[in-house]
Amino acid sequence: MQSYSDKRNSASFSRSPRSSGATAAGAPETSKRITGRSLLAVPALFTTAFFLLSFLPRVQGNQTLVWSFWAATAVLAIWLVLMYVRTSASGNKKSFVLTAPKPQHYIQAMVHLSVYTYWGWHWPPVQEHALLLLAQLLFAYAFDILMAWTRRDNYLLGFGPFPIIFSTNLFMWFRDDWFYLQFLMIAVGFMGKEFVRWNRDGKSTHIFNPSAFTLGLFSLVLILSNSTDITWGPQIASTLSLAPGIYTYLFLGGLVVMYFFSITLIAASAAAVLFGLSALYYAMTGVPYFLDSEIPTAVFLGLHLLVTDPSTSPRTPPGKLVFGILYGLGVFALYSILSAFGAPTFYDKLLCVPLLNLSVQWIDRAVQRLRDNRPLERIGLGVIPSRRANLAHMSVWIVFFATMTFIGKTDGRHVGDSVPFWAQACVEGRASACDRLLLIESNYCADNSGWACNEIGAHYIRGDVAEQDPERALGFFARACELRFQAGCLNLLEPERAMVADPRAFDLRLLLREGGQNLLEMPESDLYQRACEHGWAHACQTSVATVL
Amino acid sequence: MSPISWLLAVDTGCYVSTQSVWRRAVVTALSASGLMLGFAHAQTPVNTVTSAEPGPVFRAQAWHLPDEPLLGFVEIPAGPFPMGSNPLIDPMAFENERWSETRRQGTVDLPEFYIARYETTVDQFVVFMEEANYRLVEMFDAAAGNHPVSGVSWTDALAYARWLEAELTTSEQAPAGLRRLLSNGWHLTLPDEAQWEKAARGTEPRIFPWGNAVRKDRANFAAAGTVPAGSIPCPECPYGLRDMSGNVWEWTRSPYLPYPFDSDNPAVNLQEDALWVMRGGSFNDEESNIRTAVRGAADPGARRPFIGFRLAIVRE
Repeated sequence: MQSYSDKRNSASFSRSPRSSGATAAGAPETSKRITGRSLLAVPALFTTAFFLLSFLPRVQGNQTLVWSFWAATAVLAIWLVLMYVRTSASGNKKSFVLTAPKPQHYIQAMVHLSVYTYWGWHWPPVQEHALLLLAQLLFAYAFDILMAWTRRDNYLLGFGPFPIIFSTNLFMWFRDDWFYLQFLMIAVGFMGKEFVRWNRDGKSTHIFNPSAFTLGLFSLVLILSNSTDITWGPQIASTLSLAPGIYTYLFLGGLVVMYFFSITLIAASAAAVLFGLSALYYAMTGVPYFLDSEIPTAVFLGLHLLVTDPSTSPRTPPGKLVFGILYGLGVFALYSILSAFGAPTFYDKLLCVPLLNLSVQWIDRAVQRLRDNRPLERIGLGVIPSRRANLAHMSVWIVFFATMTFIGKTDGRHVGDSVPFWAQACVEGRASACDRLLLIESNYCADNSGWACNEIGAHYIRGDVAEQDPERALGFFARACELRFQAGCLNLLEPERAMVADPRAFDLRLLLREGGQNLLEMPESDLYQRACEHGWAHACQTSVATVL
Repeated sequence: MSPISWLLAVDTGCYVSTQSVWRRAVVTALSASGLMLGFAHAQTPVNTVTSAEPGPVFRAQAWHLPDEPLLGFVEIPAGPFPMGSNPLIDPMAFENERWSETRRQGTVDLPEFYIARYETTVDQFVVFMEEANYRLVEMFDAAAGNHPVSGVSWTDALAYARWLEAELTTSEQAPAGLRRLLSNGWHLTLPDEAQWEKAARGTEPRIFPWGNAVRKDRANFAAAGTVPAGSIPCPECPYGLRDMSGNVWEWTRSPYLPYPFDSDNPAVNLQEDALWVMRGGSFNDEESNIRTAVRGAADPGARRPFIGFRLAIVRE
């Protein structure tokens, strides 16, 4: 081992063929170690930078956010002091292990960042969140270093925290008033990586994808406590589609990940299962399974960037195939289960990942029976991975996606969010159509469409779509009325009339958003034209009248 | 000052302009404070009216309603009354008070109804909120006791009316006469515009409830805040009602529509944003806005410190 010493900062450098400790166990053969007591300055710097961010206007604008930062800073600072005392007393020196950057960290992070950039271009809250992303990164580095040094003497310094922070936030972040939970969520993710480990192929490695682990855990708590509204989760899931051609964008980003990490079989099989089951459901019932598209955008994102972590997914090609299929089936089933319990359905893509992570070793063992299976090897599904097979699978995936796009199943228009479609399907008695209609109208009512609130009130009076509930109806009429929908006010005076009316232009601007597009500035003639195309019969007459 | 075409309106912060020129005037009339009059509006000192007569007594055991045989509801006999304003008599009249293109004032024949002698008070509304577990995002001053409740929307007022009707119909605390009324097809609700105006001016075309002259000792207007409901005597006012002018604007159950008034067939355009009529002016207004015929309008969700209500019992 070659050693260098640097007296200026009391640190020493060494090159070692292999570093000790769990973190360094997976480090490449050539790694560099920096040792010294003054290295405590590094997490202190991260902590200080994190603390200083709390004085920026973005944070200062919300008192809870400020206190969240300061509380997190206090935890890190206390931890630092305790570590300083301990290292001073024991004489132990802490070290950083430096290796070549790991592609699974920086390439994933770059793909994540590109998604943020494109999505944020079309949805401003992402831009407002950028500073908080940076803060989480600083917090994550400080936390991870301190946790590693508490358990051993070295820390593998690299880009590891980037994909964890980025992928967590691509699916959920807490509102400013609850942001301290975001730091807790990040901390839980890193603790899951540090403490929940197993021995895989002779190496100690974490069981769960850190971001999926903490997302899954927090999702469960949020569902059980019915407190999803303290997060941006539903908005994140629905606003990805604001970026035009988002499926194609995610597909292209996904190709990069597939190329470098050979996860094609996972993502492609999950997508194929979801496309297939959606098509089957439509063929059997005449109504779409998912409300916003054949595969919800956020699920499409998840199957490329959440479930495909090479460390926590199978290593053999048949294992990856099975893993992807199980993810597709899991998401499909969870969507119905969550709907049945009245829980937000966007959790579907998050909840099954930790369970799948647990099954990885079992899957890899199970597919060993396929060893030396010639037909499978010929189609690249032999148990020995090969880059050539991955390229072949990518080609198949490209053709499959192109076909789906060509027939309008990706970025094309989807009838699932059309109220007239579900109203008609409900009248025709199609499977769960009335429940879906009520759900969609509830969403639009929550978005301040007086028309939608009045429709729900009328359903509760008539008992056609939902069971009769006059008291509940009054609540919806009152909301419709406060949203200046005149029929709602008249219904409040005489509920039994259950008067309905066509949506106003303002309502149409909400009803036609398809996942969140801002139509408030759209000229009225274009708005009615669009409404007509989406099945609003009254809008066709208005549209014709406008043209004439 | 010559009469101008105006409409008093209150918004809830996000007003959507409409195509109608008539209604566009509403939007033009909005101010940043949410209330806009068609003329300048001077700052005035706190109303210092004092009363030699005792104020009303409210019964805490009876939903804080007035200690009267019908819990403060006063019968308004059936019959015609003059509705709207005649600018020849009332130089402060606004264009929207004109009955039609050919007539300045109309005559409306109303069946018998009952109306509350006083504006609904804070105490009364608090009982409702507690017993019905009714929640308001922005709470009014719950300690204001016998002052008129304000900062309540049109929908809040109707919710209170529905709750109180259920209470009066079923409770032994309610006078038998009132229970009988409510179980014979009468309902507790807000008065409509015509009912309100008749209750305010009686069968004569009075400019103010007490007559045609402005009197600072008869109403709380051009002041800094509300006074307790019914605390200002008005022996000249029809039917013994109080605060029909000033204190707080009072919601009615009439949508804002141009005259002539037709309670049976209101020509409501369901595509236009809802605006509901309020009457009587408030402590915050000058004399021109506390006239019996003045017509204010507000979004049904508006909750403002100068808007309250009083109830009526009508046969439907």
